Amino acid sequence: MRIKVMKFGGTSVATPEARLQSAMRVVSAKEQGFSPVVVVSAIGRKGAPYATDTLIQLLREIDPNVEPDPREMDLMAACGEILSSVIFAHTLKTLGHRAQAYRGGQAGIRTDGVYGNARIIGINPISLFKSIEEGCIPVVCGFQGVHVSGDGAPGGELTTLGRGGSDTTGAAIGAAMQAEAVEIFTDVDGVKTADPDYVKDAPTLRTVTYDEVAELAHLGAKVVHPRAAEIAMHHDIPLWVKNTFSDDPGTEIVRRERFPGRRVTGVSHTGKLVYLQFDLSSASEAHRTALEGRIYEMASGHAVNLYMLNLSPSGTGFAVPRPQYPIVRDLLDGLVIPMEGEVYIFQIGPASKEVEMQARLLEPLGEPIRIKAALTEGCTMVSLIGHEYMQQAGLFYGVLRTLADHQVPVLQTSDSDFSLSVLVTEADAHRAVRALHERFGLAEVV
Amino acid sequence: MSAKSPKTAIGWGSETEFEKRRGVSAVEVRAGFAQVHVSELGQDIVEQRLRVLEAISGTGVSLDFLKLTPTGLSFLVRQDDSDKVGAAITPLGVRHTIKPNRAIVLVHAVNIRDEEGMLAELVHRAISSTAKVDHISDMHDRLLMVAEAGEAERLKVRIQEARADEN
Repeated sequence: MRIKVMKFGGTSVATPEARLQSAMRVVSAKEQGFSPVVVVSAIGRKGAPYATDTLIQLLREIDPNVEPDPREMDLMAACGEILSSVIFAHTLKTLGHRAQAYRGGQAGIRTDGVYGNARIIGINPISLFKSIEEGCIPVVCGFQGVHVSGDGAPGGELTTLGRGGSDTTGAAIGAAMQAEAVEIFTDVDGVKTADPDYVKDAPTLRTVTYDEVAELAHLGAKVVHPRAAEIAMHHDIPLWVKNTFSDDPGTEIVRRERFPGRRVTGVSHTGKLVYLQFDLSSASEAHRTALEGRIYEMASGHAVNLYMLNLSPSGTGFAVPRPQYPIVRDLLDGLVIPMEGEVYIFQIGPASKEVEMQARLLEPLGEPIRIKAALTEGCTMVSLIGHEYMQQAGLFYGVLRTLADHQVPVLQTSDSDFSLSVLVTEADAHRAVRALHERFGLAEVV
Repeated sequence: MSAKSPKTAIGWGSETEFEKRRGVSAVEVRAGFAQVHVSELGQDIVEQRLRVLEAISGTGVSLDFLKLTPTGLSFLVRQDDSDKVGAAITPLGVRHTIKPNRAIVLVHAVNIRDEEGMLAELVHRAISSTAKVDHISDMHDRLLMVAEAGEAERLKVRIQEARADEN
C-alpha cells in the first residue's frame, strides 16, 4: 500500500474551482498507484464565510465583553474543517471516486487536553486503513483531534491543535500510516527565499532541511509549520510543499544529512511588533534583578510572546506582537512596586494620565522612582536564515553595512545557530528584506 | 490487511507517538567564550559600530550574541579568539572590555514560540535564580543565555530543578 498524504490549505479548497483542481490532484495520485489520504483546512482564509476566524466571530459578536469558553471555541472552530472535509469528499464522489470524510477523532487522532493548542499524543489510523481497503479515499479534517480523559465518558472531548494545525495533522497522519510522502498544497510554488509580496520573483527553494524550515517559520515566514516539520523529521517522512494551481515541482524538506553544506536559505520578516526597552539605571543595584523579574513574571503569566529579548546592566528589552501590546501596557504602565524603602512606578512611553495620577497619589510617601520604557511602535523583525552560515566571520558587519547603505536604521539585533535578525521599523521592512536578499545572492538560488 | 500492509510494528490497531512534550526537554552548557563590550562610541554611532565590526571581520573571528547598546555594542567570541579581537579593536581607540570565562546555557523546548509566555517564563526563572545573565537569544527550539561559566552551571541546575518540580 503506497500511502500519500495530501494536505490542502484554505485557498486550495476556497472555491468550487479550487476544490476541483485539488480533487483532480488526488485522483491523479490514485491513478499513479498511490492510496491518497486527504487532509483539509477550513474553506478560505480570514474573512471567508466558513473560515475559522469567521466562525469564532459568531461567538464573539454575541457579546464582545464575554470571552467564550475554550471548549466551545474549539467545537465552533472545528466546524470549518468538518464542512470542508464533507464537501471535498463529495467532490471526489462526483469525479467517480468513493470517499469518506473523517473528523480528527474518527481518524484516530488523540491529543492532550489543552483546548485551542492541543498536542497530538498518538494516532491509531485503523479507520483510515479500513477506508482505503474498502476502496475509499479518506478525507480527514485538519487541525483537530480528541482528548480522552479516562473518566469513562464516551467519545472524548474535541480539541483543536492551534497554529499550523492542519500541517501538523498531515505530517502526523503521514507518520502514523508510514506514507511515502506528505504533500502540503498551498497557493505558492513552495518555500520561497523571501515573501513574494516583498521580493517579486523570489525563487522557490528546491530542497531545504527541517531545521531551516522550522527557523523560517519561527521567524515569521508563512511556510510549513515547525510542528509538522518536527514530526516529519522524527519519523523520516519526506515532506513536500507544492502549489495546487501550478505544475511547479515544489520544495522537498529533508534531513540535514541529505542536504549538507554552507548556504543562506532566505530572508523572513515577522508581523507587526512593538519594542519596549526598559531603563533600570535609575533603580538601585539591589532592586534591578527583582524589577526585571517582575516584568518577565507578568509577561509569562499573561502568555505574552516575546521577540528580540535583551538584557544589559542598564536594563532589559523585548518586542511583543502588536495585538499583545495592550496587555503589556495595561500590566505595566502605572504599575507601582514598593521595595525596601523605595517605591517604583513603571512608565511605558510618554507619561500617561494614569502614571501621573499614581505618582501624585504616592507623593506623600516620597517621590517614586520611574522605571521608563522607551516605546517604538510599528516594528518588524527581519531575519537572514542560513545553514552552517551564521558562524561566518564578518556576517554581522555584512548585514549591518548593507542596511546602513540602504538607510535602514537597526534598533536591535539577535542571532542563533540558524539565523541573524534585526529589528527595524515597519516603514523600512520592505527595503531591508530586498537589500539583504540582493546582498546574499538569493535571487540566484535554484 | 494483505502483504501490502504497513511494513513495521505500527500496523492496524496500534498507536504511534508524536509530538514532544511541552516545555523544557533539556538544558546544556557550552563553555569557552569571552564577552566583549565596546562603549562610549560617541557621535555617529552607526558608523562607529560598523568600524568596530569591520575591524573584527578582518581577523576572521566569528561573533555571536551581538547586541546594540545605547553607546556601543557587545558580543561573544570564542575565548581562544579574544586576543585577536582585542588586537583588532585597540588601534581604533575605542573603549572596550573583554570578560573571559563566559558560557552559553541552552534551554531546549520544542516550538518554543507556540507556547505563549514560555520565553518570558524561562527568563523569569533565570533571573530569579540570581544568576547574572549577560545576554539572551532564541531559536525555534531553544532559548540561549550567556553568563559567567560558574553562574551558567548554577542556572542550568535551577532550570532543571524547576523542570523536575513541574513533572
